[in-house]
This record gives sequence, structure tokens and C-alpha cells, in this order.
Amino acid sequence: MKLGGSLTSATSASPDLLNNWLQQRFVAAGENPALIGAWGVCSYAQFGRLGDEAARALAGLRLPGPSAVAVVGGHGPAATAWLLALEAAGHFVVPLAGNPAEHPARLAQVNAQWVVTADGFAWSLLPRIDEPSAHPLFRQLADRGAAGLVLFSSGTSGNPKAMVQDFSALLATYEDRRPNGLPVLALLGFDHIGGLNTLFGALAAGAPLVVPAANSPEVVAAAIARHRVVVLPASPTFLNLLLVSGAAAAHDLSSLRVITYGTEPMPESLLARLKAAFPRVRFIQTFGTSETGIVRTSSPEGDSTYLRFEDPKLAWKIVDDELWLRSATQIEGYLNASNERFTADGWFRTGDRVEQGPDGTLRVLGRLGELINVGGEKLMPAEVESVVLSVPGVTDCRVRGEPNALTGQTVVVDVVASVADHEALRAAIRAACRERLARHKAPTRVTFVPSVSGERMKKVR
Amino acid sequence: MLNREQALALVLRRLAALGRELGKPALQDADEQTRLFGEAAALDSIGLVTLIADLEEDIRVATGKTVTLADEKAMSRLTSPFRRVDLLAEYVVEIVGR
Repeated sequence: MKLGGSLTSATSASPDLLNNWLQQRFVAAGENPALIGAWGVCSYAQFGRLGDEAARALAGLRLPGPSAVAVVGGHGPAATAWLLALEAAGHFVVPLAGNPAEHPARLAQVNAQWVVTADGFAWSLLPRIDEPSAHPLFRQLADRGAAGLVLFSSGTSGNPKAMVQDFSALLATYEDRRPNGLPVLALLGFDHIGGLNTLFGALAAGAPLVVPAANSPEVVAAAIARHRVVVLPASPTFLNLLLVSGAAAAHDLSSLRVITYGTEPMPESLLARLKAAFPRVRFIQTFGTSETGIVRTSSPEGDSTYLRFEDPKLAWKIVDDELWLRSATQIEGYLNASNERFTADGWFRTGDRVEQGPDGTLRVLGRLGELINVGGEKLMPAEVESVVLSVPGVTDCRVRGEPNALTGQTVVVDVVASVADHEALRAAIRAACRERLARHKAPTRVTFVPSVSGERMKKVR
Repeated sequence: MLNREQALALVLRRLAALGRELGKPALQDADEQTRLFGEAAALDSIGLVTLIADLEEDIRVATGKTVTLADEKAMSRLTSPFRRVDLLAEYVVEIVGR
């Protein structure tokens, strides 16, 4: 059985199929652009109809209860419409993007029963397995009538951790956004809490979301200029590359008024260069973890890398230099890992090393553990190590993060080799990583060493 | 020490090797004017970081010097040394000569 659509069977909007308050916003925004990208312009009216189409297809399946459904795509109209339709119907939604080689393991972790593959206005729906997931976290959500959202974070064992959160509660936090119509750019991924935050924020505000065809500084700058984007959520690394590539100077970015940045520490020197390049822009630091959701913050002064939490639903404290958070939107738990980073009384240990500034402010200094942050995209060494170890000629290896002025940190691997041709082995290691891992996880530096220290997984021979 | 021609040869050789690795044959025909990063450029950010790491290794082998090409000073330059092959080669000469 396969179902598909492309908004050819447009019907009148029926408000009960999507989340009520969102549906009302879509009706109010009417012919205003909702999503702008490779597919052209999708108006809010069109988007509402696409949501109906998805909801009808879903109802037609006559599913006996909440099911795990993956949505493969990006911030396109069909993928987004499916996300919302699945939420409204109380299902467990797994947005997937990036390297498709990483998808099968994730689908298996979640036990996804259906897979929606979306591209622009078009989508197709295919069954994957016939057996509903009986995970207690899913049952817990189903019992209170809430939809689930599953995102992945880097796990210490090399397996990404599947985080389950209450999708209905998350979406409800956007209801108080006032309509503003200010064009926003989508830079972070569809499978990333930051990318979803941008998406839901724009939709709740009835604003156009501009989705660039690629995330290179050049393509993004051209999209900002063309669509007069006002709000740019980005990582410090991306903002650095925007300046270094010359893209900021080559395009008219005068429409920008707000740049929000987060996901990795902002160097003071970079913020100073950004302020000089964009004198009319307000810079706002955001803070979020996949586990706790995006948190509202303010900076005491515009040019400060200190921040202050402004979210009434969030509590924070610093324990041994580590930031601990407790929020209303934190995840229910992991499908495939223990909740060891949560304390019994609900605090989440972020793993971020912070220092306290004046008047209740704080500043993120970096990471405490092994987690590597490449331009805001995170990974654990074990993920890469397991791929490197599978390359013939590698006896042992150790992956670590190294500071880098272009991407904040970069992935470096020390390799113990059993072959003499290091140049060829280096190329083979990089090729294997590129094929099997997301782009940011591939080591940029491969060094050959006589031995590596520490209790890493050793190659079994 | 490296002169401009030597540095240029290092950069072009590395770029060609990276082109083979990434399946971008055009990089093997790169010349002084080839754009590395930015408009109509050959590399993405991870590719650029990879090229820089390779070059640092080459410089270490060729001169015995351990250098860092991507640092805050390089970032702050009005014209980035990472935009074009010739700019990068000249930057390598300057860094190695320090």
C-alpha cells in the first residue's frame, strides 16, 4: 500500500483536522507566504489545505491507535504539514533529515510503523513494519492523549539516543507568539530542536519562513537579500563563515534586524566583528538543549556574550561549573538509553561548562565531557570511532575535538595503522566516514600514532 | 622557509588530492584563481577545514614547523586568505616565514 499527494485534490479547510489555534492563524494569514524555498512560495491558505490533505490520508488509514511515523524531508510544505497533522492526531512523530545512511538505524530505534517521504508539495506514505511500538514512554504519552516527538542526540556508545517529548505540550508553548509577518530564515535542520523552534515560531507568527536551497553562506546570503529576511537564527560558526566567505559583503543584507545565535559558544572577538559588519542588527543569544527545549534569554548589553534566562517555566543552577536545567518542555526520556543525565528530582545536567557573571547572568564556556561541537552540530567520539575502526588497515583509534577558528571545534582522529601507506589509509578513512556519517562528523585531520591511550573500544580480530 | 611557488604547489597538490577524495574532479584542474570558499567556491566549511589540516601537515613535513593557518587573526582580515588559491598560498608563505 502506498499513498501519495501533491495538493492536487484541494478541498476546503476543515478546522478540526489540524491543531485549532494554529489552523486559525493559517486562515488569518490567508494568501501571505508561509514557506518559501525550492518549491516556490506556499501560502498559508495552501499550507492549511496541505495539512487537511495529510490529515485525511492519515484518517483513511484507520490506525487502531497512536503510531510511530517518520517524516523524511526538510522544512518543505508537505513535510511540515505532515508534522502538524500527525501531532493533531496524537501520533509519535520522527522528523528525519541529513545523510540517509543514518536513517535506517534511527527508524529501527523508534520502531517506526510508517514513513512519509516529502519533497516540496509532494509526499508519499509507505508502511514500514506492522507492529506498534509498546515502549512505556509512548504509552505514557498516549494515556494522556498527547502526541510524541522523537529527536536524536549523540550517545556515548556510538548509538544516537532517541529522545521522546510531549509534542502537544511543545507546540502549545508557541501559542502566545503574536502575529508579526517578519520573514525568518531556516538554517538549522528539520531533525534538530533549533530548526523546529524556528519553524513553529514562524508558523505561529504567521510569518514567511525562507528555506535556502543549501546552507552555504553564499546561498543563504542570496536568499536573505532576495526575500528581505528580517530574522536570522544561526550558529556563531555560520556567522563567522558569512563574513569570512565574503558573502555578507557581496549581498544586500540590509533587511536583517535580528540575528539570534546559539548551539555553541560565541567568541567575543567574533561578536565584535559581527557588530561592525551589521551595525543595525540586534544580536540575541538563545540557549537550548534537545533535552530541555529552546529557552528564552536576554543579554544584559547587546555586545555581551553573557546571557540571562527569561523563561518563567525554567529553573537553572550551577553545580561544579556545570549548568543544570529544569524546564516545562523537557523530554519524557530516552527510548534506548537510561535517564542518567536527569536527576531523580527532574534536573537535567547539560554538560555545558558555564561561569556566573554579574546580576544573575551566565556565560557558556564550552563542554565538560567528550561531546564535540562542530559549528553547533554535536557528536560523540564513539560514533566516529566505530566507523574508523571498520576501515581495513586501522588497528585502533581515538577521536577527539580540537579547537578550530572556522568551525569552533573540528573532529580529529589519532589512528594506529597496520599498513604503511598512510596517505591512502587517510583517504579511505575519510571516504568511509563521509559515506556513513553526517558531514560534520567526518574527521578533518587524521594523524598516525604508535598507540592510543584510554579505554576505547578495541578492534576485535 | 617556503617561497610562493612552493606554497602554490603545495596548495594545488592538496586540492587535487581532496578533489579525488570528494569526487570533485574539477579540483584537479584548479589554478591560482580558483575560489576555495565563498561565491561559486569549490569547498564547503568542512572541506575547507580539511584542506587546511592537510596543508598544516604538509608544512610540518616540508619545514619541520608546526603552524596554525586558521586562527583569529586570519579570521579578522579584511580579505580572507581562504577565499582563493593564490591568497592561501601567499598566506602560507607569510605564516611559515614568521
